[in-house]
Amino acid sequence: MSGLTLSGVTKSFGAFQIIKGVDLTVAAGEFCVFVGPSGCGKSTLLRMIAGLEDVTDGQITIGGKDVTWADPSARGIAMVFQSYALYPHMTVRDNIGFGLSLAKMPKAQIAAKVGHAADLLQLTPLLDRKPKALSGGQRQRVAIGRAIVRDPAVFLFDEPLSNLDASLRAQMRLELTELHASLGATMIYVTHDQVEAMTMAHKIVVLNAGKIEQVGSPMDLYRNPATPFVAGFIGSPRMNLYTGAVAKAEGCATYGIRPEHLTLEPSGGKWRGTVRYIERLGPDAMIYAVVPGLGDISVRTGGEVALSPGDEIGITPQQGREHRFAG
Amino acid sequence: MTPRQRRSGLIATAVATVIFITPFVYIFLMAMKTKKEASRLLFSLPSEWQFWANLTEVIKARNYMLLLAYFNSTIITVGAVTLLIIFGAMVGYILQRRPSGWNKVIYGLVLVGLIVPPAVVPTIWVLQGLGLFKTIHGMILIQVAYGLAFSVLLFRSFIGTIPKDLDEAAIIDGARPWAIFFRVILPLLKPVTVTLIVVQSIAIFNDFTNPLYYLPGKENVTVQLTLFNFQTQFQSQYNLLFMNILLVTIAPLLVFVFFNRQIVAGMTSGGVKG
Repeated sequence: MSGLTLSGVTKSFGAFQIIKGVDLTVAAGEFCVFVGPSGCGKSTLLRMIAGLEDVTDGQITIGGKDVTWADPSARGIAMVFQSYALYPHMTVRDNIGFGLSLAKMPKAQIAAKVGHAADLLQLTPLLDRKPKALSGGQRQRVAIGRAIVRDPAVFLFDEPLSNLDASLRAQMRLELTELHASLGATMIYVTHDQVEAMTMAHKIVVLNAGKIEQVGSPMDLYRNPATPFVAGFIGSPRMNLYTGAVAKAEGCATYGIRPEHLTLEPSGGKWRGTVRYIERLGPDAMIYAVVPGLGDISVRTGGEVALSPGDEIGITPQQGREHRFAG
Repeated sequence: MTPRQRRSGLIATAVATVIFITPFVYIFLMAMKTKKEASRLLFSLPSEWQFWANLTEVIKARNYMLLLAYFNSTIITVGAVTLLIIFGAMVGYILQRRPSGWNKVIYGLVLVGLIVPPAVVPTIWVLQGLGLFKTIHGMILIQVAYGLAFSVLLFRSFIGTIPKDLDEAAIIDGARPWAIFFRVILPLLKPVTVTLIVVQSIAIFNDFTNPLYYLPGKENVTVQLTLFNFQTQFQSQYNLLFMNILLVTIAPLLVFVFFNRQIVAGMTSGGVKG
């Protein structure tokens, strides 16, 4: 088990700098999630750690060893791809054991390791199937099995759940968290889905335009976002953010309040607005309202709320839950 | 299927059958006739079935030349197709995957190879200079040179359908480029490889002009050239000529019949199915 550090890592394609100097330490055994919008460089950063992309400048160490220029296979990493990248012509058994057979490991030893990984992932009955005869979730597990048998110091996941349907995704989130607990390995996980980030991570790294916006535990980022970008990105539904005159009146450059930190009042309230639209989700409801002088605002409230579009409501932010950003 | 569709389908099938089968039936009937009857070149049943006599005469002609021709043609076909597959796949792989500016130039040259017609006399000079003229391996290299452009083109576009993730997964699994190609990519090229084997081996096996130019000499004869055995300026033995055609056509026909299904699959499918 070993951690990972990035110091001053940059990446340029021609004159265009994609990764603009990243410094990061991931402790041994930590589950670290890179999250950010598409094009923010999170996948590139992961591929640089994997060794699939060259580093333009800076240093990468894994377990204290400088691997900036090492071959991918010599870095002690394993990677699970978004497309799973299973070898279509090989059985599940051969897919999982391919790396070991390349390393010229004795057959009996390969069989033992593959068997162990298959047990762990409940793949044993599927070992002789080809990938095309597997469901999405099973392919996912094979891809993870292929990573496990390498005994890597660091697992790298590149948006591994984005090809699965919603219910399977929720199940795989749980399985991955359990796997992390049982293996105790360092994992780096890339996603654009902040729900995955919040539910699985010990440490979330929010990336934006090739730079780290903020690093912290999920609840840390939720409670104390450092920038408006993090505030808007972490938390679902999205935080209400206001700039300009509204923010100036609150004494800051950007003012933010989460939908769940707003209270509805039939009369009075800090702001008076009109309900535009209601989304009823069962346990709770999302109210989209328009407040003159403020603009659109979303409020999260109880599922049984008796309101309909066109109703007038009062909205008041909860004390101490407001966010004021200087930048 | 509506009755109308069925009727037009049946008519189309019947027309196609007549068009494609008629020449075969003609060859077959001619091959069974006596010399005198065959010389009239009629589409008629033979009055006397001479199958066995004609067969042995064709095979024995000119000291079993047909068997030697079969041997030579097989060596040329197998050798050339093997090299075409290996080189075509390798070049196609590099052209598709390596992000190099040179690839555009090389790809252009490959296309030139497909467009520019080969010149015979300079080719013979080159072969003579290399000491490869009138040799079987020289002939193999000629066939490889003529077929490589098409082969590279086909492999390159097929490899384009194989996700690059597979290469990268193999890299992370510790595969060297050589292993990535032979253990991951090449097995996935099976459909297009079968297509190429069939298309190229039929073309090379049935090639008439290239062996005529580049492979003169009695001991170098190939199957298509044995047809000259029974045609001269003043006299042609049509029954034997057609028997020879029949014997020469059988091998490629069998290859085609066996691989027919895979050819279509290889022409249309991609590398990886979901």
